[in-house]
Amino acid sequence: VKTTKSCKRHKSVRQHASITQCTLQPGTEILSNSDDDHRDLKADSNDPEQIFQNIQFQKEIVANIRCRPWPMRQKLRTLRQAKEIVLKYEGRLTRTRGYQAAGAELWKKFVRLAYNFMVIFIPWEMRIKKIESHFGSGVASYFIFLRWLFGINIVLTVMTGAFVVLPELLAGAPFGSTISKTIPKEQFASAQDLDTIWSLGGYLQYSVLFYGNGRLPLAYFLVGMAVFAYSFIILLKKMAKNSRMSLASASDENYTFCWRVFCAWDYLIGNPEAAESKAAAIVNSIREAILEEQEKKKSKNLAVTICLRIIANILVLLSLAGSIYIIYFVVDRSQKLERTKKELTLWEKNEVSVVVSLITMIAPSAFELVAALEMYHPRTTLRFQLARVLVLYLGNLYSLIIALLDKVDSMNITEAEANSSASNWIDSTTFLVPRTVPKEDNLSTTVPAIRIRRNSTMTLEKSHTQNYTIPVMLVNKTTPYLHNMQSQTAQCWETYVGQEMLKLSIIDMIFTVASILLIDFFRGLFVRYLSDCWCWDLESKFPEYGEFKIAENVLHLVYNQGMIWMGAFFSPCLPAFNVLKLIGLMYLRSWAVLTCNVPHQQVFRASRSNNFYLAMLLFMLFLCMLPTIFAIARYKPSLSCGPFSSGQEKIYDIVSETIKADFPVWFNTVINYISSPVVVLPALLLLFMLIYYLQSIARSLKFTNSQLRMQIQTERTEDKKKVVQMAVGKRIPWECHALTAGGSSDSSINNPSLLFPARIQTFEGNDKRPEQDSDLTSQESSARSSTPRKNGSVLNFESPVPKGSRIQTISQSIPQPDVARPANISPATPTHLTPTPSVPSMQKRRIDQAANRYSNIVHGSASELCKTKPYPPVTFKKHVEDVHSEPLFRKGIRQVNPDVLGAGAPAFVGRKVPTTRYFIVNEHESRKKLLRSTSRLPKHFRMEESGDIVELYPRNVRRYVVRTPHRTYSPHFSEEEEEEEELRRDLINRSYRPRSLSDLRPAPRFYIGERVDSQILTGKDLAKMHYKSWDNGFELELDRPSQAHKKSHVKRVDLDQHYPEHHVKPKSKHKLEQSLTESDSISISSSDQQTSGNDQYIQVIHSKEKYLKSEAKLTRNKSKTHTDLTMAESNELVCSNV
Amino acid sequence: MGNKQTIFTPEQLDAYQDCTFFTRKEILRLFYRYRDLAPQLVPLSYIDKPDVKLPYELIGSMPELKDNPFRQRIAEVFSEDGDGNMTLDDFLDMFSVLSEMAPRDLKAYYAFKIYDFNNDDYICKSDLEKTVNKLTRNELTPEEVCLVCDKVIDEADQDNDGKLSVEDFQHMIIRAPDFLR
Repeated sequence: VKTTKSCKRHKSVRQHASITQCTLQPGTEILSNSDDDHRDLKADSNDPEQIFQNIQFQKEIVANIRCRPWPMRQKLRTLRQAKEIVLKYEGRLTRTRGYQAAGAELWKKFVRLAYNFMVIFIPWEMRIKKIESHFGSGVASYFIFLRWLFGINIVLTVMTGAFVVLPELLAGAPFGSTISKTIPKEQFASAQDLDTIWSLGGYLQYSVLFYGNGRLPLAYFLVGMAVFAYSFIILLKKMAKNSRMSLASASDENYTFCWRVFCAWDYLIGNPEAAESKAAAIVNSIREAILEEQEKKKSKNLAVTICLRIIANILVLLSLAGSIYIIYFVVDRSQKLERTKKELTLWEKNEVSVVVSLITMIAPSAFELVAALEMYHPRTTLRFQLARVLVLYLGNLYSLIIALLDKVDSMNITEAEANSSASNWIDSTTFLVPRTVPKEDNLSTTVPAIRIRRNSTMTLEKSHTQNYTIPVMLVNKTTPYLHNMQSQTAQCWETYVGQEMLKLSIIDMIFTVASILLIDFFRGLFVRYLSDCWCWDLESKFPEYGEFKIAENVLHLVYNQGMIWMGAFFSPCLPAFNVLKLIGLMYLRSWAVLTCNVPHQQVFRASRSNNFYLAMLLFMLFLCMLPTIFAIARYKPSLSCGPFSSGQEKIYDIVSETIKADFPVWFNTVINYISSPVVVLPALLLLFMLIYYLQSIARSLKFTNSQLRMQIQTERTEDKKKVVQMAVGKRIPWECHALTAGGSSDSSINNPSLLFPARIQTFEGNDKRPEQDSDLTSQESSARSSTPRKNGSVLNFESPVPKGSRIQTISQSIPQPDVARPANISPATPTHLTPTPSVPSMQKRRIDQAANRYSNIVHGSASELCKTKPYPPVTFKKHVEDVHSEPLFRKGIRQVNPDVLGAGAPAFVGRKVPTTRYFIVNEHESRKKLLRSTSRLPKHFRMEESGDIVELYPRNVRRYVVRTPHRTYSPHFSEEEEEEEELRRDLINRSYRPRSLSDLRPAPRFYIGERVDSQILTGKDLAKMHYKSWDNGFELELDRPSQAHKKSHVKRVDLDQHYPEHHVKPKSKHKLEQSLTESDSISISSSDQQTSGNDQYIQVIHSKEKYLKSEAKLTRNKSKTHTDLTMAESNELVCSNV
Repeated sequence: MGNKQTIFTPEQLDAYQDCTFFTRKEILRLFYRYRDLAPQLVPLSYIDKPDVKLPYELIGSMPELKDNPFRQRIAEVFSEDGDGNMTLDDFLDMFSVLSEMAPRDLKAYYAFKIYDFNNDDYICKSDLEKTVNKLTRNELTPEEVCLVCDKVIDEADQDNDGKLSVEDFQHMIIRAPDFLR
């Protein structure tokens, strides 16, 4: 309510002010016109649609304000205003809308609260930030990756925990009640030995942690598959997100040096050492780039390097093969040992995992040494290194799992043998548990294959089993159990694999910890404290401090995760263990990094949107899934243990079994149909077709993409060429034209040259602009980006057309030679603009003429633009603001008039040149006076009067002035920070670009002259601002934020001008524009670019804005009402938009 | 946490949250960071909007900035007076833009301003030379620097005016694979 009141007050004040103006100025239409304006405002503000749109617009501002490059003060202020407006007008809307709004507000608050709350639960945020600040984003990316893996593992743990472990614990049989949960008697004694626990035997082996003890086959199987499915989905999702973020990688444009210079610094580095090494790295990379650039054509001594590389690769391959062989050998040996020896030493039990871990630790360093031979570019070296290490890790895991599966094979054989021997040697099968019956059937199939091997191992086994099965048989019925368990424990291969993987994981952890301590911590201590009393500098020469090798460490994480995936099916506890491991690793690593590491010399920059690590992880996941799938598909589940001991032939049979048993019959038949080849084959075919189709679409899109890019490229270069051609080719005609100042037809020919280059520029700008802004307001940019280009070429040749309109206006203007007065009245005089040609008031016609004069150029093109792109606001704004600086041109016209009268209108441009020349200085001078003057109106009069005096200013003076403003110009901009950023950027661009053009071109004098003028103005105003801003800086700021509205307002004013008689029409139009201005900054800026074929206008605008402000200040000092006037203007504009 | 803090009004905090990419907690943390730079200067309450500016010397000595070759430029760009003296608003603004949540083109815009040493809204050759020298700590020879600058302009200048405009810069920087600050 308060705000509405103030708004009303402003209105009244404004009216008052306009009345006072009217009394001072000739021409009474102003009053009526302002009243019309007023009515408009009222009508607008009562239209709920308008209100709603405005509110939406304001809300958009609120939502996106944080993405605007404004200083905080401006953001806060805009935010406050936007919120106020929303608050003020929301009540006027219908009730439901009000409720909606309130609900939205509540929801927003809730979301924010939730977000604030959620942030607390992001683990290690501070720790990572700290590391990031010390070592840069590269090192931090490792920890972020670790945290992400941690999250995945938590989900996996929850999945297995909730569906496998927990039910088993809660509802399963208590420990010791069933066979699979009872520790065999011989082992019971040693079940609590450290040794047994270490090798995951004893209680652990029979606990829920391993495969052997589940009772929920379906859950077990589904969870096992779900683990993989989830991992795949989450990985792919993340990768897709990342690739969407880094759309850049698709571009083949080459910005080597730019990136090395502008993107080199890691802004997160906050540690002097890191900064040091980063600077060194940057120097290196730049030097490298220079060298590459210089030696692009030179051929190096290839023979040597090729030889070296071949050798290096051979070495690497050898070491890879060696490591694989060693692992296989070790597994084989452990197998043999297990068979021959009864008691295994600690080493013998763990040698497999120890050897694997050792290899994973040592080999990367060896590869690094080898890589030094190759003399690749560091980045390539790193790639090679990573690829090799990845292959090594994979090789390790694979050889391990293959060896294990081999062992499983042999275990199956021994089991088969044991059973067959039992059945052979002991006639009765009664002691066997009923469960073994299917096993017997099953055996018949496998036996033939086994028989070959049997000979070798048979004797031993036979004697072994014989020894106690026979007496057992004789004595009582309890012993069969014993025997059964005996074979169980040995032959539960799933548990065995799970055990091995867990063991490997544990030992890997131990080695990691050890390596961190040894390689990083103790080395760090050693170097730090012994460097003083050592014979060489320890810190910079040999041992140095440990480096944090991001790539290797990330690879290690990937490897670790692969291990988990590989073993997860057989050991549900693995993800849980991995969670613990990752937590420990997080703390240990971060501690080590902060205390005793220095950043890697070759900083491998991994931004968060880098898919490299993720791709490796995906690769790993796929490859780790294969063995599990293979094992599931290939091997029969153990009969004596595990959830699948009820006789499934294959593990996945459980699914079909369940479907058969527990689902209704119809479902079963449906499944049968679906799984029959009749359905599966077409489905597969369909999938293939789909893949093919999608891929071909992707290919064609890629093709069009590259085509479009090429098109852009060529058009751009063509544009450039045109600019240059114009600049060169038009020079002579222009001079001629300047000489034949009255030539009518010449001007229309020559004129394009005037407008053309600038416009090309703008269209170029347009091409780029949407790209940059696309994120700020992503909604509109894409569609826009293509259309302006098309128009560009058309519009470029449009310029003759405006001339026609100009002609008219000039002819109109001719009869009035004395049109001097109130052109500059105030910003609040849209009234002047109504061009009612019927009314023969001098003033109005003059303004009309002036406005039209401006509009022909801008408007001519603008109207064209409007068809395709509805962004009239700025173009219109231009006219109006141009009116301000209009005396300049008006006078020019006036001067020329004598000639023109005879020659006719078309010659306008030609004449413009010499005439404006005068006025620049003229204007400038008048402004000077303006400065001196205290009251506003007198200024204008004086300006007019002074015009004639200064007309004959020598040209060189002007030229001189051209340069000086540059200096005043830039501080002026910094001063002007509150202004809308986009607009400002454009202004700057506009104002500067022409300069370069004018260098190329003959530099039409009026052009420069005008610039001088405007810049001087800005300088002047700036000075003024400086002078005044001390006491009323605050108020000044108050009226600024509404500039966007001012624009739309001004635009509307212009519409008034075009539809002077129909006041309804502007309104409807206004609605349309209102919706347009929702993306206001951008639409304005882009249209700015489009229409700014004539750079001088923008300059003028610019100065005018300044001028306005300073004026406002001046007047404020003078009287309160005047301030209110300008204030009211801006505020009212806001209202009027509603 | 809690509602005990008396530094800002809830409205202020809300507004700051709207205007930056930070959560409430982070804003408070940043405030304390700001205050720790000069506890005697900065009051513990911003409810009545005190006009406090910290000189550049203090801002530049923050660990986040002290090793940054462009620290002075950063402070200048983000400070409202252009001299690197920062109010709390400027301070929050700076951290908001430099935070990881800020969108790329916002960052690109400010990066451009940072590299535009003479504030003429173009990165011209002298700006580039300064940039390169700061980046490499004057370790390159003048010829090398010159070559690099020429190359950069050659690569990124779309409109052949011999200097980089904002558009040129953004066009280039958005495509950088690791433009992330």
